[in-house]
Amino acid sequence: MRIANVNYIKVDHVMEPAVRLSGVTKVFGDHTAVSDFDFTIPRGAIYGLLGPNGSGKTTTIRMIMGILLPDQGSVELFGGSPDFSRRNRVGYLPEERGVYEKMKVIDQLVFLGELRGLTRRHVRARAVEWLDRLDLTEWATRKVQDLSKGMQQKVQFIGTVLHDPELLILDEPFSGLDPINQDVLESIVLEQKQRGTTILFSTHLMQQAERLCERVCLISGARKVLDGNLKEMKRRERSGVVAVEFEGDDRWLSWPGVSDVERVGDAFHLSLRPGAGHDEILAAAVAEGVSLRRFELLEPGLHEIFVRHAGDGPEESQAYGPGGGS
Amino acid sequence: MNRVWVVVRREYLERVGTKGFILSTIAVPLLMLGLMALSIFMGLRAEQSGRELALIDFTGRLHEPIAERMEDVGYSVEIIDPATGTEALDRRVLDDEIRAYMVLDDLTAEEGTFLYRGKESPGRVRSGLIRGIVVETVLETRLSFTEDVGGVRELLGGGQLEFEAVGEEQSDAARTSSLITGIVGAILLYMTMLIYGAYVLRSVLDEKRNRVVEVVISSIRPWQLMLGKILGVGSMGLTQLGIWASFGALLLFLGLPMVAANWPAAEAAVQIVEFLPSAGAVLLFLAFFLLGYFLYSALFAAVGAMCSREEDAQQAQFPVVMLLGIPFIMHMSTIQGGRVVWMEWAALFPFFSPILMYPRAVAGTVPLWMVALSLVLMGLAIVATAWVAGRIYRVGILMQGKRPTLRQLVRWVRAA
Repeated sequence: MRIANVNYIKVDHVMEPAVRLSGVTKVFGDHTAVSDFDFTIPRGAIYGLLGPNGSGKTTTIRMIMGILLPDQGSVELFGGSPDFSRRNRVGYLPEERGVYEKMKVIDQLVFLGELRGLTRRHVRARAVEWLDRLDLTEWATRKVQDLSKGMQQKVQFIGTVLHDPELLILDEPFSGLDPINQDVLESIVLEQKQRGTTILFSTHLMQQAERLCERVCLISGARKVLDGNLKEMKRRERSGVVAVEFEGDDRWLSWPGVSDVERVGDAFHLSLRPGAGHDEILAAAVAEGVSLRRFELLEPGLHEIFVRHAGDGPEESQAYGPGGGS
Repeated sequence: MNRVWVVVRREYLERVGTKGFILSTIAVPLLMLGLMALSIFMGLRAEQSGRELALIDFTGRLHEPIAERMEDVGYSVEIIDPATGTEALDRRVLDDEIRAYMVLDDLTAEEGTFLYRGKESPGRVRSGLIRGIVVETVLETRLSFTEDVGGVRELLGGGQLEFEAVGEEQSDAARTSSLITGIVGAILLYMTMLIYGAYVLRSVLDEKRNRVVEVVISSIRPWQLMLGKILGVGSMGLTQLGIWASFGALLLFLGLPMVAANWPAAEAAVQIVEFLPSAGAVLLFLAFFLLGYFLYSALFAAVGAMCSREEDAQQAQFPVVMLLGIPFIMHMSTIQGGRVVWMEWAALFPFFSPILMYPRAVAGTVPLWMVALSLVLMGLAIVATAWVAGRIYRVGILMQGKRPTLRQLVRWVRAA
């Protein structure tokens, strides 16, 4: 990506990824929270950081925000160190909900906006709009501590987007919200993306990530498991399993390219050995003269991809909760 | 700078509007006034009760002048015939009819020793008073046999110390006023620096605990945030002091003359105006308050930043509270007056200056250059303290978990 030619510095600047981590490691005492992370978030992407609780998502985000310093490696925000002027272009929603409990909702939002350099009148008007949008108008003059946790979270989310940041970093933004509010927040996140905002969010809910993200980074036990474009990832991964339904002799299933056969209802799920193509097995079936009713390359869910790469230790699979299956 | 102002305004408005502020601004002085009035009232009541005494005089010549003098100072004295005996009197004491009875005999007439029989001892003040009356009477009767040579009676009265200040012309009222101003000012300085400093600590700690600081810190530099907090809480402090001062002025210049006009007995109270601090003393108080507050609030901010839990902060603030408490104890131990020269030098130590230097400056017992020097030194100390505290603050507000060791603190300060 980097172009050395001086004449292109401006172009280069624009093309800088929003976030780039290389070889980042963070250790707390004898516990390694993040081990040798590399990933890049291009401008305008919506990027999901996925992993079970305790896998290092929040630590990573806190390093991007310059709250923690990496022990090894480098963190770049907009092509430089996450210093004050760059952090100023980010809207950050921490995992622990940070609100001034004794302040009125509207005052808190005006305070946050003014700190970002907006004028009071302007920020007040915007805050009123946002409160209306998130169904909080009647709570505007109440103290934050009178609000439910979910409502406080929405107030804090408004504080995050109020100043139209270039990059939104949302640490578990959806946890603790009811499904309706999750949908509202999802639509706002997508709308921000439409505006060209880069979005990084962490979650342990795989389904949500599948719905929202273009790119994901799967992490487990402080290590990066996999990252990249979600569609490509799925395409790449799906060569593994073929679902077939057929009539006739099942001898062809013992074809050498098939490593495992699992019966699922009427269908058979065939796991292919690495290197074995699905067209070859199709040819084998045709050669046996069986009549195929179904031949489908299965797209694995994120959860499956994750388990395939990270292994399914009991505590990890547990961490996804009921909504995490695929 | 604009953002500092945003923080100042938040800190100020979020404090001044609260019930806590209104309560502490109004209730604290009221409570203090109430306590003062109550203790005066109780004292007066105790003075006026239990003044019924009986007197048995076996010498036959002392009871009249003694009874007369005691009635002059408010006792009611009943003279008992010596033939009656003391048993009946004991019963009257037990029945609370009389407080006590005194027995005067030959020993009294000779050396002033007398018996006082009651349920309780009369206490220091009263026994001094009664003793004085008896001794004076005995002396008088004995001296009446001789001439009063060269005012020997005055000599026996204990003489008098008439103080005159050398080198300055200060009225008694002015001297008393500066003494009171010094004492009250030192107490007020101690309390305000402690309380407002604790507000700053709490503000920093709260912001750290609810993690707001992690969001805020991407919009404002740590030193700006710290400055904003200190200025905001300080403005609240000045507001509170201002409200108290105006209440006091209103009471003295409007309330008191009105009371005096309608109630002649209180006329003497109007003289209290003579003991008010001078304008210079008030200005000096403000200077010491502001400098001292900046100095200590920076320390309190650093303490708040290095802790993550309430209990940690309680412990970590101990050295700061000590630093504030030591000069206060030192000052209280020399409140009786007199110059302690080494303490005047100790008063130059910036962290001790407000409490040790202010009363001395007001009383005029230290040279002017020392006062000026202490103010300059405090200014320099603020710069140094703010620099160190700012560095601790910058690292500390983003740290969670255990309180740092001293060595870690040094590393924080050194880190660029």
